[in-house]
Amino acid sequence: MYQFVRFAAVRASLAIFTLVLVSFIVFSLMELVPGDCAERYLAFKNSQGAQISIADIEAERVRLGLDKPYIQRWGTWIINAFQGEFGDSCILRLNISQLLGQKIWLSVGICLASLLVAYMIAVPVGIIAATSRNPYLNNGLRLVSYLGLALPNFLLALMIMLFSTVMFGDSLTGLFSKEYRDADWSYDRVMDFLSHVWLPVFILGWSATAFAIQTVRALMSDEISKLYVTAAAARGVSGSRLLLRYPARHALSPIINSLGFDLNRIFNELPIVALILTLTEAGSLLIESLARSNDQQLAGAIIFFLTGSIVAINFITDILLAVIDPRIRHSIMG
Amino acid sequence: MTLLDVKNLTLQFDTDEGRITAVDDVSFEINPGEVLGLVGESGSGKSVTAKSLMHLNPPNAVYSPESSITLNLEDQSVDVLSLRQGSQDMQIVRGGSISMIFQEPMASFAPAITIGDQMVEQLVLHKAISEKEAMKISVEMLERVGISDPSERFNQYAFELSGGMRQRAMIAMALSTRPKLLIADEPTTALDVTIQAQVIDLMKDLVTDFNMGIIFITHDLGVIAQTADRVAVMYLGKLVEQGPVRNVIRDPAHPYTQGLLNALPKLEDLDAPLTPVPGDIPSPLERPPGCVFHTRCSAVEDRCSLSVPEMKALDRKRSAACFVAADQRGAA
Ligand SMILES: Nc1ncnc2c1ncn2[C@@H]1O[C@H](COP(=O)(O)OP(=O)(O)OP(=O)(O)O)[C@@H](O)[C@H]1O
Ligand SMILES: [Mg+2]
Repeated sequence: MYQFVRFAAVRASLAIFTLVLVSFIVFSLMELVPGDCAERYLAFKNSQGAQISIADIEAERVRLGLDKPYIQRWGTWIINAFQGEFGDSCILRLNISQLLGQKIWLSVGICLASLLVAYMIAVPVGIIAATSRNPYLNNGLRLVSYLGLALPNFLLALMIMLFSTVMFGDSLTGLFSKEYRDADWSYDRVMDFLSHVWLPVFILGWSATAFAIQTVRALMSDEISKLYVTAAAARGVSGSRLLLRYPARHALSPIINSLGFDLNRIFNELPIVALILTLTEAGSLLIESLARSNDQQLAGAIIFFLTGSIVAINFITDILLAVIDPRIRHSIMG
Repeated sequence: MTLLDVKNLTLQFDTDEGRITAVDDVSFEINPGEVLGLVGESGSGKSVTAKSLMHLNPPNAVYSPESSITLNLEDQSVDVLSLRQGSQDMQIVRGGSISMIFQEPMASFAPAITIGDQMVEQLVLHKAISEKEAMKISVEMLERVGISDPSERFNQYAFELSGGMRQRAMIAMALSTRPKLLIADEPTTALDVTIQAQVIDLMKDLVTDFNMGIIFITHDLGVIAQTADRVAVMYLGKLVEQGPVRNVIRDPAHPYTQGLLNALPKLEDLDAPLTPVPGDIPSPLERPPGCVFHTRCSAVEDRCSLSVPEMKALDRKRSAACFVAADQRGAA
């Protein structure tokens, strides 16, 4: 038990270290963007008609602490970031935590739901595909998989929107209907949310499922051909007991291992899908802040959050693996 | 009554390169309490023959219609090759009446299930006993095969045991259901010589105690001489000679058996040169016509490449599939 706690602690500090490292990279990238927050804000003001002098910019720099050395500013940023405080947005002049608030959790939620759906489909289907000798089933699945891999998510999203607009006169965009957009959470708002959220979950889950089916099937085929499965059959174990207790049970570790990787990919696809479906969650806000308004503070905060979720899921899968796989447990316990 | 009757077993595999013949018209039998040694070079088809006995070959295996394997139990005779996956009789054969020890003891334990769980699972499947009783039997069995701290080993995983331990645990598991036939596929090749000798002694003891038949597969004729009552020699999927172990080893009839024996180091004359069988074993995709061994045979004649020699009974209860040997020894 002591070793296990130590292992978890080591992994946790590794995760935090990764996050700090990532934050440094994110922060540096933010710095590399030409101009800084002060200039950008005042340039924005200028475009609104205000008169701006160099002295104004300097004063704003001092106010924002931009005159301090790079490393010191990063230090402040990261310490605040771990407390969930990201300062104000460059342009909107709003507190980022408040601005992002539930949007971040909606995004993370949508991605996790896609991952969950993908694996709920992929695990049984992958197992069947790996064991079945039916050529129609196998080729059918292969076709669906290839479609899932080949058809980009944004194209799928556009196709569904087009179809729905033509057929039902509803483009299916957004996460809420108008009347619930800014309302407080209530039963009706939840139902309204669910009636919208399935589409992004489906679209994001689409290629994730195709990938996951391939992964599960490959891992299962690999396990099934191993000698210990034949040996178990030779002892009289058969049917679903043989399948689940032997190859499926042993394919579980690598499957869990692939979760973090898949979540990463879903995150990558979130912004573009969000943009098309005009979801007002963090993904589209990221595009907005990066592409349109060049808002470094906001973009940095969002990237930090998304990376944080990936680091977190990798940490969780590491711990999970150690719990279920005796070989890994053994290597920890020494 | 014989325990197991193998008749005209022919087994082919569908592969990407075409259909290859792994076992070609092999017949043999084994009696209760008897140890049959199966020898042959690598790739001669020993393991696939053994797996056929439990209908364990992968789905790309094709058995010829003449092939038959009959297991004679006290209350019934089972036609192994006609058994359906997961059927009641299949269950009786696999792990109940026949147990198999596979070539690689490490790979034949599931890595993430304890040794004990796998033993108990098998016992509960085959015997009308509770898990608790199964646990007791398993621990006793582990102790019986000479594993120290059996109740601790019971809760361990295969990777936590040394090679010799694993092999013993494998034997314990195979014998726990008291099968009528034990198939041991090179059970000692992975072990060093001292442990090898211990494991062989252990198996011989258990056979006598349990009165079961054993098929002992190896490419080491020295090990066969120590353990087996009868020996069957395989080459490229064909049985070329079989008979009582002493007769075959003292006076081999088939040129291939002679070749195998000449390749063994001789303790009484360590300076004598080793003479391995010349040439390489042909690929199963290019099986030679006629006698499969004629491409490497020192006594080859014209007829050897033209027609296949049948297995003929020779002197001293032994039979061989060789024209030359049959002529020399006056086949019956
Ligand atoms: N599933 C399979 N598909 C195709 N060919 C196979 C299959 N299993 C075995 N073979 C082929 O059958 C032949 C006999 O193999 P087998 O494993 O029985 O040899 P062996 O006598 O046990 O050799 P070794 O001493 O190396 O264990 C080999 O040529 C092998 O390549
Ligand atoms: Mg073999």
